[in-house]
Amino acid sequence: MRIFPENASSYGAEIDFIFWLITTVVAVGSVIVIFLILYPLFTRNKQRSPEQRYLKGQGFKQMKLIYLGIVILAIADFSFLLKEGPTWTKIEETLPKDDLHIAVIGRQWLWEFVYPGPDGKLYTADDVKKINQLYIPVNAVVHMDIQSYDVIHSVFIPNARFKQDALPGRSIKRWVKMTKTGTYPLTCAEICGIGHANMKANITVQSQEDFQKTLAKLYKK
Amino acid sequence: MNTHKKHGFWHRFFFSLDHKDIGFQYMLTIFLMVSIGGFFAYVFRMHLAYPDMKVPLFGLVTNKDYNMLITNHGLIMMMWLALGMLLAVVGNFLIPIMIGTDDMAFPKLNKISYWFFLISVILMIASFFMPKGGLGGGWTLYPPLSVGDFGYNTPYQGFASRFFTANTFVLLAIVFEFTSLLMGGINFFVTTLNKRAKGMSLLKMPIVVWMINIASVLFMFSVGPLVAGTFMLLLDINVGTGFYDAYRGGDPLLWEHLFWFFGHPEVYVILLPPLGILAEIISTNSRKPLFGYRFIINMTLLAGVLSMMVWAHHQFVAGINPKAATVFSILTIIISLPFAGIILAYIATLWYGKIRFTLPMKWALGAVALFTLLGGFTGLHLGASVFDIYAHDTSFVVAHFHYTLFPTVIFGTYAAMYFWFNKFTGRHLNKTLGNIHFWLTFIFFNGFAFPLFLLGLAGQHRRIADYRQFEFLMQDPLPLYRQIATISAVILILTQFIFIFNFFWSLKKGKKVESNNPWEANTLEWQTSSPPPHGNFAVYPVVYHGPYEYNMPERDKDFTPQNEA
Repeated sequence: MRIFPENASSYGAEIDFIFWLITTVVAVGSVIVIFLILYPLFTRNKQRSPEQRYLKGQGFKQMKLIYLGIVILAIADFSFLLKEGPTWTKIEETLPKDDLHIAVIGRQWLWEFVYPGPDGKLYTADDVKKINQLYIPVNAVVHMDIQSYDVIHSVFIPNARFKQDALPGRSIKRWVKMTKTGTYPLTCAEICGIGHANMKANITVQSQEDFQKTLAKLYKK
Repeated sequence: MNTHKKHGFWHRFFFSLDHKDIGFQYMLTIFLMVSIGGFFAYVFRMHLAYPDMKVPLFGLVTNKDYNMLITNHGLIMMMWLALGMLLAVVGNFLIPIMIGTDDMAFPKLNKISYWFFLISVILMIASFFMPKGGLGGGWTLYPPLSVGDFGYNTPYQGFASRFFTANTFVLLAIVFEFTSLLMGGINFFVTTLNKRAKGMSLLKMPIVVWMINIASVLFMFSVGPLVAGTFMLLLDINVGTGFYDAYRGGDPLLWEHLFWFFGHPEVYVILLPPLGILAEIISTNSRKPLFGYRFIINMTLLAGVLSMMVWAHHQFVAGINPKAATVFSILTIIISLPFAGIILAYIATLWYGKIRFTLPMKWALGAVALFTLLGGFTGLHLGASVFDIYAHDTSFVVAHFHYTLFPTVIFGTYAAMYFWFNKFTGRHLNKTLGNIHFWLTFIFFNGFAFPLFLLGLAGQHRRIADYRQFEFLMQDPLPLYRQIATISAVILILTQFIFIFNFFWSLKKGKKVESNNPWEANTLEWQTSSPPPHGNFAVYPVVYHGPYEYNMPERDKDFTPQNEA
């Protein structure tokens, strides 16, 4: 049994790696905390404990182990922040050159995917629209202009580890590069009304040739 | 000398100005709200595990019902249970008596604050019965969804069509409740500063009094933006102003900022009072001074300041500037440090102590363990913005906040109940029932919340009425996890009836207390009779010691009450 759904994007593995990195840090921390809690419970209960000590935790000498604990946690925190920061910059703050530029528009309760028409430019009269079914080519950087007509939606592609809220009145540009062909779910992660549970699309990742055929078919309609 | 009179039943439950009676009124009102919130949880959990089932006592759950149930469950538990129980009830019962005075500084304001709370409860319950149904846009009330009728983008048709809607009523309820808590908070703060017993310096106050005051001040600092936001949202709903409408010059993100600017400090407002309760109980039952009293206060103040600077970690993928997200991510991770210090100080209190496994101690240890291991540590996962891209709005978040809130709010409240019940009623809660209640709650809370982590990692997004439409969420063993979570949640809810029975049975028939200080504790409330008279003390105490002088050298007994020379 796998913990995460199958990864199919270029950066998905890095997001999973951050999870396992933090989980490792947390697991070590948990073992320490469990020991620190259980040890006194088993040795210092009423029947067998020697006289307790009058320790108030004042001054550096008594507090030094607590300070040490905080320093260790700070080091652990920054150990994954150092990895986390550049990954965030790569995924969210930089925009690699696009091979395909589309618009993903949420509305109650479906997803619209808008492709540039034969002129290769988005937001012109010859754009083509597809409802609840997105086709994209494999190994290509796809820029998505994420928009909404009415309320807040959120584009969630679990297999790509991709999520971005879609807000009415603005267009948010994000990118994804799928590395495996196949059909994956695309859902809405932000509650958007009664049909929220039914808002579901598919994203089909195709080889370049298949994608060109699909696009040609779309233009013909 | 105490000059207060004893009052009859009618006066006690409706007009009393005594802080203990007002605390009791709050408590009964909140019991009512929790029963509603718990019932909602039962209905939608049943629906998630068995989507075709007619849920007993409710019937078939439609998508609309489902949205209404989760929304109101969240609102009731966050706003009325957590804030109300931990600020209003704990503050009212404990502050005056722990600082050795007769009552609040402003008893009438205290009474008014309860009436405002009651109005807010009535408005909240009335919102379920509005012509278009209960509120259904998620408890965070994100516009534009919360401006319309939760799903249908109906055009604005005038004031009358919008005033009698659930969104208006819920927002008004929130405003009334916050006014009530604000009055309560001011009262706590003024009482603490001005009415302390002779000799009780600020650094001789019990930690729980410190914590409630810091929480009240944090609440005062953060609530302003939310009330402003609520006002704009009310205008958007009722007058059609468009503050949050992107097509009329507004911005839906504005609400998210205002809401979370309050919403994040709020979780610390909720967290601090139970941390104080745990400090009292752990120190008393370890028979050892609380380790690092001043350190804990300093760390709490630091965490309070930091908590005002992390709100945007709820919005990493909401469309904010990604560069800002990095800053909020780092600040969020840093906030783990003061809390680690506080938890380590509590654990250090256990070391070299002489631990008594009393019932409140079990709840307290359970709370510390669950909050740290599964609530706090998964906060690191979510605070890391990169993983939050994936985990945001999935069940992983739901599991995380249940593991932070349940151990603090529920375990903390129960720890307090089992600890102080005998003081305020003169009778003990039944121990056997208490033990059954503790172990069942501990086991089935984990049985309910832990599967949600795994479901979230599998990609289960939140607030979906029926997961059968999503093939990837129906692969084995995910439906089984959902059923384990549901069955555990149902048993967890049923278990609470043991406590309700125990509470009301012990109130009338419980074992009478043999002494005023059954736990051999130091703080002032244990030095007066059980239950304390109206006015709390026959002779007002004079304080000589700090609150945690257990096992002081050169004393013949292992505790030294604060008022013992």
